[in-house]
Amino acid sequence: MRTLAGEDRLLLRVVRDGGGWTAMLVVVALAGAAAELALPAVLGLAVDAAVGGDASPRWPVVACILVVTLLVTDVLGDLASGYGAARATARLRRRLLRHLFALDVRTVRRYPVGDLVGRLAGQAADAGQAGTAVALGGIAVLPPLGSVGALLLLEPVLGLTLLTGLAVLTVLMATFVTDASAAVTGYQRVLGTIAGRLQEALGGSRTIAAAGTTDAECARVLAPLPQLRGHGRLGWRLLARANARVAAVAPLLQVAVVAVGGYALTVGWLTPGQLVAAVQYAALGAGLGAVLATLNRLVRSRAAARRIAEPLSAKARPDGVEPLRPGVGHLRLRGVGVRADDDRPILAAIDLDIPAGSTVAVVGRSGAGKSALAAVAGRLYDPDTGEVLLDGVPLTRLDPAAMRRAVGHAFDRPVLVGETVHDAIGLGLPERSARPPSTGAPATAAVLAAARAAQVDGVVSRLPDGFRTPTVAAPLSGGEAQRIGLARALHAERLLILDDAMSSLDTATEHRIAQTLTSPQAGRTRLVVTHRVATAAAADLVAWLDDGRLRALAPHRRLWADPDYRAVFGGDGVLR
Amino acid sequence: MSRPDVGRTTWRALRARRRDVGRLCAWSLVESLPALLAGLVVARAVDQGFLAGRFAVGLTWLAGLAVAVLVGALATGRVYRSLGDLVEPFRDELAGLVVHGALHDATGAGGRPDSAPVARLTHHVEIVRDTFGGLVMVVRGFLFTAGAALLGLLALDPTVAALVAAPLLVGLAVFAAALPAMLTHQRAQVRAGEALGRATATALAGHRDVLACGAEQRTVAGVDRRVNDHAAAERTLARMSALRSLSLGLGGWLPVVVLLLAAPWLVRRGLSTGAVLGALVYVTTSLQPALHALVQGLGGGGLRYAVTLERILRTCRPPSHSGSAARPTPEPAGDCPAVRVANLTFRYGPRARPILADFSMELPEGEHLAVVGPSGTGKSTLAALVAGLVQPEHGTVHLAGRPVAAVAPADRAALRVLVPQEAYVFSGSLADNLRYLSPDADGPAIETALAVLGAAPLARRLGGLAAPVDPATLSAGERQLIAAVRAYLAPAPLVILDEATCHLDPTLEATVEWAFARRPGTLVVIAHRISSAVRARRVLVFDEDGPMVGGHQELLSRSPAYRDLVGHWDGVPAASPGHVDADRTAAGVRSGHG
Repeated sequence: MRTLAGEDRLLLRVVRDGGGWTAMLVVVALAGAAAELALPAVLGLAVDAAVGGDASPRWPVVACILVVTLLVTDVLGDLASGYGAARATARLRRRLLRHLFALDVRTVRRYPVGDLVGRLAGQAADAGQAGTAVALGGIAVLPPLGSVGALLLLEPVLGLTLLTGLAVLTVLMATFVTDASAAVTGYQRVLGTIAGRLQEALGGSRTIAAAGTTDAECARVLAPLPQLRGHGRLGWRLLARANARVAAVAPLLQVAVVAVGGYALTVGWLTPGQLVAAVQYAALGAGLGAVLATLNRLVRSRAAARRIAEPLSAKARPDGVEPLRPGVGHLRLRGVGVRADDDRPILAAIDLDIPAGSTVAVVGRSGAGKSALAAVAGRLYDPDTGEVLLDGVPLTRLDPAAMRRAVGHAFDRPVLVGETVHDAIGLGLPERSARPPSTGAPATAAVLAAARAAQVDGVVSRLPDGFRTPTVAAPLSGGEAQRIGLARALHAERLLILDDAMSSLDTATEHRIAQTLTSPQAGRTRLVVTHRVATAAAADLVAWLDDGRLRALAPHRRLWADPDYRAVFGGDGVLR
Repeated sequence: MSRPDVGRTTWRALRARRRDVGRLCAWSLVESLPALLAGLVVARAVDQGFLAGRFAVGLTWLAGLAVAVLVGALATGRVYRSLGDLVEPFRDELAGLVVHGALHDATGAGGRPDSAPVARLTHHVEIVRDTFGGLVMVVRGFLFTAGAALLGLLALDPTVAALVAAPLLVGLAVFAAALPAMLTHQRAQVRAGEALGRATATALAGHRDVLACGAEQRTVAGVDRRVNDHAAAERTLARMSALRSLSLGLGGWLPVVVLLLAAPWLVRRGLSTGAVLGALVYVTTSLQPALHALVQGLGGGGLRYAVTLERILRTCRPPSHSGSAARPTPEPAGDCPAVRVANLTFRYGPRARPILADFSMELPEGEHLAVVGPSGTGKSTLAALVAGLVQPEHGTVHLAGRPVAAVAPADRAALRVLVPQEAYVFSGSLADNLRYLSPDADGPAIETALAVLGAAPLARRLGGLAAPVDPATLSAGERQLIAAVRAYLAPAPLVILDEATCHLDPTLEATVEWAFARRPGTLVVIAHRISSAVRARRVLVFDEDGPMVGGHQELLSRSPAYRDLVGHWDGVPAASPGHVDADRTAAGVRSGHG
């Protein structure tokens, strides 16, 4: 019930966002509907005047005014609905985007990326049409409904003729919908087969290239085409049948109206002009079905609004305003608990005190809660219970900008954000250092230093355009991307969190990077999630997580005696 | 360049199926019968029947019209069928174009597979299919209906016909003049939409990373720009849509106005009441709807058709066969090394640092070489260069004495087989998958290969050679094993395994590598674990200072880089267990994905 209210509130807001444009749309649409409804009657009067020998230009002129009104309202209506929708859509998109980035990682992770992109790019546009849909949906039914009324007034039999015809038309359309879906399903299935084969072949492109079998692969992918054509033809045949029916019924309806009107003309109930009006009204009234279909737009807008209201209703993370206290990265977790979406505990009552400037390895089996620990320590999200303190201040109370300067976070599979590799490395730096320099130098000093420290400067220099290579065009392996992710995090002043961030590196490179990171002048705390014995052994302390609990916090060599601990790294010493 | 392409492609599609187009036109002619007769019949029915007090006569005329309507409806059905005959083959053609383009792109030099072509196939081709059908329908509908109505008007009264035709033409002219601008703006809107989608996808895929870097504002501002661009494009489209309404109003309503203003004068000239009614029927029931369908159809689906087809044509150029491939190569003289690489230089771009610089190497027949080194040093690039998949900037590669660049791609398969990390298994029988490189391999040969490579249990589990294989249900290791058996069966004397066994467990990997080592011919292994280097007769190590070749022991003493690699594999700091074996430590060598 509450989400229902949410989406309707959102729709209302979208309508308001259309602002003056929506109001204008309502006004011109009403004027247009009135003109449309009045025109047939005036046409009839003008015809009667003409054939009656009345030379006064009164009715033709009125008709002209109505036509001009129609023309102007159509043009203005197009502008108003387009501009209003564009404005409302843009506002909705900006609002959703801001909100998504005000949410924590855990909340956003519940939605697949493609799904969110669909909501922001696709459904926002549908919801943005709400103003148009509400205004036009209400008003567009007026001319057809009015026409039926006008016909009933003009001559009740004519009205009844029209209503009967409409009923027949509706039944015919309904039968088509059920027929066609089977053909469409078959078509989609074959198309899916072809797409699947293409996907497979693209995945094996290196094998195909080496084997020189590209043409044979094309033939294999396209082999189901004749089947597709068969389903397609069936679809056209069904469409043919449906359209033939509609093509017969709609004009026959008009012939019937003319025939009934003709009788009325013969017996003198109607004038010739009124017959003209009747034919016009019948045509307008026959459009009732199509107009009702436009009500779909409102239904679609509402469905889209529901999809957008859902992430919008998620609570944004609260941010503090306190500055950092003096310190060099004393990290403290107090009674930290994290639960999964299904309420399963991931971390339970973790108390952890990490001395400033030390290196702590976080180890444990898959699912022991290592990444969750890293995430709450870097405030990617807040724990469900307990709190995390950096140099004595809870992370939730810290000014977010100050906190991000103090804490750096690198991941197993970093996503490189930014137009160029330079932007991607500079993501955590101030804007001035993050943008590629305009002087022609390959990179800003800060980005260059970070790249060197992460041993990735050599890789970048081999890229097609060095630091200015577009991120999407950079042929990077997993290990190379990891090193860029590391470079990005190195700006951290007090706490560096490496969440399995060197897993794809060869051990030699990892060793060299580790030396830079642990050099005494780096002077910051390091929390390193790892699967490797060597990394654990090199750390000052090991935080051993077991099923969401902190089993021990001790140096590696003290823990090594415990067979359970050794088992974390795999029974026979094989990592993972 | 692109606009004419769309026109030409459409024209070609229509011309190629002239007979179907002819049939479509013939049925359209029949379909327009009611449009031709409606006004005339109403005029006669009113004049001779209703106004003359003879209802039966009027009704008879209308009955005639009803028959015409039924005949027309029958023809409508036929029109749609003929349309299917026109549209479906066109779709086939486009699907072929997309698939050929995608595969040739992905398998060409420097080609990188992406999933965009699949979307092109399922989405863009379908849009073109639907809009092409719609386009043909509205254009032909307008031509025949408007033609029939004007003909009927002409029969009714030539002056009336002229009065109606003039404003109709004005409306059409306005629309035609605005069409190119509409196309441009439609294209811009589609592009703005795609840019928005891409920007959103990147930003949201990196939501965690953006938060971790505190770069929310910067990222949101970047996407905001795309949102604004898209809104601007939408506003432009709204202006175009207003222009469309204007031309529709001019062409559809102006004839009515002209007719009304002229009616008193026409009646004085002797136009009958029925004729006035008939003329109005022609305008409001035939011309107006036909024009409406044309303008909305062209302005909506028609523009989408042009823009979408343009994209398909731009991204899927028909493959151009470069001349370099087909040159006949001289038969090599006598004793040639299996691989001879001379002065090879390669880099990603003109300004990039080279990945290989002036690199030379020779492998005799029967050699077993392992290539090791940190990620990003060019191991996979070397494999691609040796296989002839990538052209070097300088230098040559000879396989068994033949320059690999001069051998046609299809014939290179006889010289070498390259097994990449991402194994290709397609939906088909296991036998089809295994015979991929050697279609003539018989049952016993396949059984032997399966046994030698330790793949017999997998084959049994899959249900034997004839059983269908669904690649999605196989693990990465199982796919690699199938690809290995396929390569083992291949006739080529040189096998290059490019991290092709990285998903196999160490024991199985050893089985596979030993099997290839015993296979007649030469073996190059881009190593993923140090054990591969230990097994090989020679090792090529990549290092910052350049590549170096030697035996395992020799390199241990000569190459600091090699020592470094092996050392960190074996010599984990003192606290770690003593029984570390090569395979465990090498799990760290996961040297990226090539």
